Amino acid sequence: MLGFLSARQAGLEDPRRFRRAESTRRVLGLELNKDRDVERIHSSGVNTLDIEPVERRYMLSGGSDGVIVLYDLENSSRQPYYTCKAVCSVGRNHPDVHKYSVETVQWYPHDTGMFTSSSFDKTLKVWDTNTLQTADVFNFEETVYSHHMSPVATKHCLVAVGTRGPKVQLCDLKSGSCSHILQGHKQEILAVSWSPRYDHILATASADSRVKLWDVRRASGCLITLDQNNGEKSQAAESANTAHNGKVNGLCFTSDGLHLLTVGTDNRMRLWNSSSGENTLVNYGKVCNNSKKGLKFTVSCGCSSEFVFVPYGSTIAVYTVYSGEQITMLKGHYKSVDCCVFQSNFQELYSGSRDCNILAWVPSLYEPLPEEDETKTKSRLNPAFEDAWSSSDEEG
Amino acid sequence: MSQKRHRLVPQTLGLKRRRERGPVDADALRGESGSARAAVAELVRLFPRGLFEDALPPIALRSQVYSLVPDRTAADRQLKELQEQGEIRVIQLGFDLDAHGIIFTEDYTTRVLKACDGRPCAGAVQRFLASVLPACGDLSFQQDQMTQTFGFRDSEITHLVNAGVLTVRDVGSWWLAVPGAGRFIKYFVKGRQAVLGMVRKAKYREVLLSELLGRRAPAAVRLGLAYHVHDLIGAQLVDCISTTSGTVLRLPET
Repeated sequence: MLGFLSARQAGLEDPRRFRRAESTRRVLGLELNKDRDVERIHSSGVNTLDIEPVERRYMLSGGSDGVIVLYDLENSSRQPYYTCKAVCSVGRNHPDVHKYSVETVQWYPHDTGMFTSSSFDKTLKVWDTNTLQTADVFNFEETVYSHHMSPVATKHCLVAVGTRGPKVQLCDLKSGSCSHILQGHKQEILAVSWSPRYDHILATASADSRVKLWDVRRASGCLITLDQNNGEKSQAAESANTAHNGKVNGLCFTSDGLHLLTVGTDNRMRLWNSSSGENTLVNYGKVCNNSKKGLKFTVSCGCSSEFVFVPYGSTIAVYTVYSGEQITMLKGHYKSVDCCVFQSNFQELYSGSRDCNILAWVPSLYEPLPEEDETKTKSRLNPAFEDAWSSSDEEG
Repeated sequence: MSQKRHRLVPQTLGLKRRRERGPVDADALRGESGSARAAVAELVRLFPRGLFEDALPPIALRSQVYSLVPDRTAADRQLKELQEQGEIRVIQLGFDLDAHGIIFTEDYTTRVLKACDGRPCAGAVQRFLASVLPACGDLSFQQDQMTQTFGFRDSEITHLVNAGVLTVRDVGSWWLAVPGAGRFIKYFVKGRQAVLGMVRKAKYREVLLSELLGRRAPAAVRLGLAYHVHDLIGAQLVDCISTTSGTVLRLPET
């Protein structure tokens, strides 16, 4: 690292290269750290997490009990031991709380004044963060599996909603009604995702094994249906035009929007070229997927070779995106992991699972230097680890 | 948590690892690392020719290649290149959508010719091997491809199916097949279940690899323990964990 610093200072190295190298090194060193904790508020499984894109400081979580909690991730205390506290929450006694499990929460992409949440109670609610009241409610006929709002859109405020029905609905936040419907899938839509590169490209994944890319400005059908065989008929006829051999559970665009990752219940993850729809045939091996609803996985951002973090049973598997190599499995949860998000400012990973915990995976690179002064080390200790007995020989 | 952190940007990062791990330990099975071609050649040596009286060409499986070449994407790419060059044929084995058998083309052609020698379908088979195989490297063939491009009549296609070279897949499409492969597939499926059962019955559902290979093969395993172990590792039906005593095969928890 010192070499990088001096090279950057002398102008021999691009400063961005140093930043990417250091980010990659930190991501490779992700592990559970006893100094970082997230306050446990949920009393049932955590289904979804989202970190706001502006400052990357606040995190929303949605649980199976309908509770939505807002956490502050920033460590403003001077201690290394820090619990991410819940700033506020929409609890069970809130008048507007969702009746059933919250499946997706998302911050408004441009500021933290608003967030949206969708749930199995067939609604999509738009919340005002400061007053914690619902600003708007969209009702649907079927349970809502997933929703997403475009992170780069400036010309439209459309929220794409995937429900149990085969139609993808686009709801307009400005007018408060569903503006249009995209038809093409035959079964429930398990995941939707807007492209981070173009504000009119939407990808949807459905239980009928198909992933479709749509241009929402066009009146006709979808742009591309992803085909795992790239049009070769030599593979099985049944898998013609399908992205996976089972339900497609999760979608994630890479941070530059050029590639799309999909996971399916056939225990495979595939990488697609998002402009041509071609299967890049990167082989990640078996990516166990038993989820009956959507699986929320995430891609790192700002590293020299991007990593994908996929919930794999009760662990999180980390792969390099473009070569398919498995880096490690992050073990720490007690039950199956449902969602994970990557905080790209500090290269941290937060994951929520059915055991009601949210774990923070922090890069651990250096051991803390031992302090000379003994009193200082004592104050650094977490009170839970302090001894209660005195070391003197006298009683009491 | 795995302590094996792989270096992606090699020397520039200077990643400080907690525990220095050497390269993947080379024991009896994992000695090979390198090209898919060398892996297929080695696997083909493991195939028991005598069991089928030399009537079957030696078949390796794609999952076995994955166990010898750890980078799956590179292995896929190399196998595809070999397929395009015409050195190997990939056959769809019926029991699993992903299970592909890999055979060297010369082995395949010699065995097929020997199998259909003297039978009435010999002419059609020879024409097929001479004209279609070098031209089309796919796993399956379509009706229009066979009739228009290669000029096969329906009766000749029936001859090919009778000879065992083609298997019906759908109306108007056929898989490429190996005559007499049914026995191999039966032994393979039974043997795979038997070896998996050996790991399952072990205490803590894990077995030291060297100890497993040294055991007496149960009667259901006709193709050899090493053959099946490669397949299980590559298909990720067992987890391969390196320990201080060697490699341990453990059933995954899920």
